[in-house]
Amino acid sequence: MTTVDRNLDQLGDHGHHDEGSYLNPKYGPIATVWDWMTTVDHKKIGVMYLFAVLFMFFLGGVAALGLRIELLEPTRIDETGNLTGAALSFLAEGETVSQAAVGQAYNRVMTMHGAIMVFMFIVPGIPASLGNFFLPLMLGAKDVAFPRLNLASWYIYVFGSLFGVFSILMGGVDTGWTFYTPYSTTTTGQPQVIAMVLAAFILGFSSIFTGLNFIVTTHKLRAPGMGWFDMPLFIWAVYSTSIIQVLATPVIGVTLLLLIFERVLQIGIFDPGLGGDPVLFQHFFWFYSHPVVYVMILPAMGIISDVLAVHCRKRIFGYRAIAFSSLAIAAISFLVWGHHMFTSQGELAAMVFSFLTFFVAIPTAVKVFNWIASLYKGSITFTTPMLYVFAFLFLFSIGGLTGLPLGTLSTDLHLHDSYFVVAHFHYVMFGGTVIAFLAGIHHWWPKMFGRMYSEKGGALGCALVFIGFNMTFFTQFFLGTQGMPRRYASYVDEFTLLHQISTYGSLILALGFVVHLVVFLHSLFLGEKAPQNPWGGLTLEWETETPPIEHNFHHEPVLTHGPYDFDEVVPPGWDPKDYPLPEPTPGGHKH
Amino acid sequence: MTATLAGINDFVIKLFFGQKADSLVGSGLGGSDAVFLFIWWVSVFFFVLLMGIMGYCMVKYRRREGVPAEPSPSHNTPLEIAWSVIPSLLLAVMFFWGFNGYMKAQMAPSYAEQIDLIGQKWAWSMTYSTGIGASEFTTLGGNNNVPIFVVPAETPVRLRMNSADVIHAFWVPDFRTKLDVMPNRYTPYVFTANALDRSGADDRVQTTTDKKGNEYAYRDHIVYCAEYCGDSHSEMVAVLRVVEPSYYQTWLNTPPYGVTTEPVEVGALVWQAKCAVCHTVDGGVSTGPTWKDAWGYSREFTNADSLTQEMIDRDPMEWDNYIRESIILPGAKVRAGFTNAMPSFDGQLSDVEMRGVIAYMRSLSDRDPGTPIPGYPELEAEAAELEAAEEGGE
Repeated sequence: MTTVDRNLDQLGDHGHHDEGSYLNPKYGPIATVWDWMTTVDHKKIGVMYLFAVLFMFFLGGVAALGLRIELLEPTRIDETGNLTGAALSFLAEGETVSQAAVGQAYNRVMTMHGAIMVFMFIVPGIPASLGNFFLPLMLGAKDVAFPRLNLASWYIYVFGSLFGVFSILMGGVDTGWTFYTPYSTTTTGQPQVIAMVLAAFILGFSSIFTGLNFIVTTHKLRAPGMGWFDMPLFIWAVYSTSIIQVLATPVIGVTLLLLIFERVLQIGIFDPGLGGDPVLFQHFFWFYSHPVVYVMILPAMGIISDVLAVHCRKRIFGYRAIAFSSLAIAAISFLVWGHHMFTSQGELAAMVFSFLTFFVAIPTAVKVFNWIASLYKGSITFTTPMLYVFAFLFLFSIGGLTGLPLGTLSTDLHLHDSYFVVAHFHYVMFGGTVIAFLAGIHHWWPKMFGRMYSEKGGALGCALVFIGFNMTFFTQFFLGTQGMPRRYASYVDEFTLLHQISTYGSLILALGFVVHLVVFLHSLFLGEKAPQNPWGGLTLEWETETPPIEHNFHHEPVLTHGPYDFDEVVPPGWDPKDYPLPEPTPGGHKH
Repeated sequence: MTATLAGINDFVIKLFFGQKADSLVGSGLGGSDAVFLFIWWVSVFFFVLLMGIMGYCMVKYRRREGVPAEPSPSHNTPLEIAWSVIPSLLLAVMFFWGFNGYMKAQMAPSYAEQIDLIGQKWAWSMTYSTGIGASEFTTLGGNNNVPIFVVPAETPVRLRMNSADVIHAFWVPDFRTKLDVMPNRYTPYVFTANALDRSGADDRVQTTTDKKGNEYAYRDHIVYCAEYCGDSHSEMVAVLRVVEPSYYQTWLNTPPYGVTTEPVEVGALVWQAKCAVCHTVDGGVSTGPTWKDAWGYSREFTNADSLTQEMIDRDPMEWDNYIRESIILPGAKVRAGFTNAMPSFDGQLSDVEMRGVIAYMRSLSDRDPGTPIPGYPELEAEAAELEAAEEGGE
């Protein structure tokens, strides 16, 4: 058995007793607010990011519910010339409204939902909140490499989000989150598309700052003894994500400049009226936005690797395969943007992009196989984080497999821009990223806030989210294959039943989130005090106090064991009686 | 055994798509339905396998007090190679099979029947080789003016598609293929509709009589716009009516606008085909102003001088010119209370159609300009003067 005491914080050892939790207010209320607003502590910035992105998730979620309620019934004009259908709930009562006005309202809310969820929630989401909080802790560092840059990134994020939300609300942007030209440049109030791309670019800058910070921190601030292959897989995932963010974001800046050039100098770039090519915009847009899809999912995969290992006390199967597949996915992600445009480009391009798209499927499949294999002979708990891991494996498998008919050319011609695509990417983005985010929040909640949450409440929330999600989106696969196009405010009668199941599912899903909110609020105010290491984790964040002290560790930690040596090491803060280790196998352990 | 499998496959196709594909692109071994089935069975196999193992582990290896996790290898080269290589081979099959089917949807033989298609916010219109367009309309979803496009069965058809404004996409779910409709170039939508099954097994095959009294059999398919294009994107639908090739030839030679040459009726057909999605004729609210009681009334504009009652009464052709200008250059005079949402229809309407639209709008209005209306005494006086002058001249 390796000694683990070496890194344990022993209060009173070196006169550090006055250094309390990072959460302890040191000043009066106003000064405390000022302290948070000017902090360079990665933990506080992580928490501020967590609240900011969750608030955006709430806004985007409200918009989503609005869409689902609108779609409960198809919009129709009855004999008296009045509109029927739930769409009316959107608009002023008693007013005579046209079908087109309902369409316009729907399209604006649809744009709100997409733009907020993509640019303000899911892209920055995990890396900026959990990544900010735990990357330095897991590396054994005091902070990120550039703490001030880190704070700047938060402010840029907040500014970019406000800018984006206001330009949608004020300008009535109805282009969808993809802003395709020439629709976006020729509808009334043309500057909005420039405002929205500018917002995406500002938000991208905050991602670049965070990404740069994480890359340097990972290279330079690893604890003594921590080689690249001793890093937790969450770090590998966040590191790969950071590379994509730094490399892809400039492209959206280039697009922005081209849009401005076209408008100001009247040179044809995207506008067919000026001799430009509207499809060129799609190339630019997806050259940025496709790698960004992997910015959304890679950190989620990192969370799953770490949470799964801890909650089944098992060395993760194929550590190197998972680590390298993160890098492989990051690299290939730059070469598959054309698969968003199978119906708008030539045969050769379609063939090449279809081929490359199948390439990215392999490392993703390998990860899923590795996770499932890691369960074998484990000691599996059913805590809320682990329930979310199971939910992830279930939903993400469906999300991944339904990507196959979209990557295959002949079937994509049918499924492209249908509800099948909507269902597919919600299974990946929600069933993958959001579910993993929830696993991560529950897993690290005690460490972040020093309180336990109610396991029963967490499990109930998880069950509601799982059931509600499947009701909402599984139905949409059938809507898509049967011919329901996406971004439709109304539909033919045949689709009513499936749309209704989907809408009721979305209400159950929302209820699940309400349960989680109640559980978290209960935990913050009334929760039981959390022990240092509630789950028996072996990564460095579990070796410091709960919640961590301001400088993370009393001593610079030295790595004495790997992140997943569960069958050799009793985790810090655990009694060997409560944590039985297997008999050492003769001839040593296999890695 | 084979029969059972075919039955299950039919069930899967029915579950997902409603019925089998009705075109060459979707049907048969090279069709997309066959590829979909292959992907489906591969997916079901892997999903059941993975979830089965997961479920087994959840039960078998659940945590028990005082029982450690059993040691097991965390690495196994043959296993890892196997689960990388086998899926890769399956994916290669999907890629080649799918690419093969895709090429069928992109290319048509040179003798294919070519029909022009224009997508425009928010309606489809077709022009056939004989110069005619859709002459019948139906109701679909919330749209009461859905054009019916007649196409031949068992004949390769190539639609030469073009957009007059933004990007649209032409999708016939029953044919299992779609393609974007671009503003800056032609794109081809290629299909060969399956034969009409007149045995009675297909209840979608119906018989009806056309305006000239010919009886014909048909099968209808819904057309959607699949690329987001704004407010009435979900009303941008059409019906593709597959008929026997022999009847198609008869139909091609129908006079334009069915059997009518009456300007008001021509105008009404043009309205249904191109204008109805934004302009009502019963006074209802929509994206654009209603045509009911519009012609001959004064108009205020946000970006131009008003069209006053005086001007109209002096010369009713002011209104005709206003209509003509609004069709060709809609942004020149934007009516107060509306936005500049209308795309230009420059070059899309023949003179007959333009005159038809004007006649139709005039027929919808209760105004009869030329007769001075009460409240304009100076006009009445002017009219009386003119009359007197005319009489004097005689």
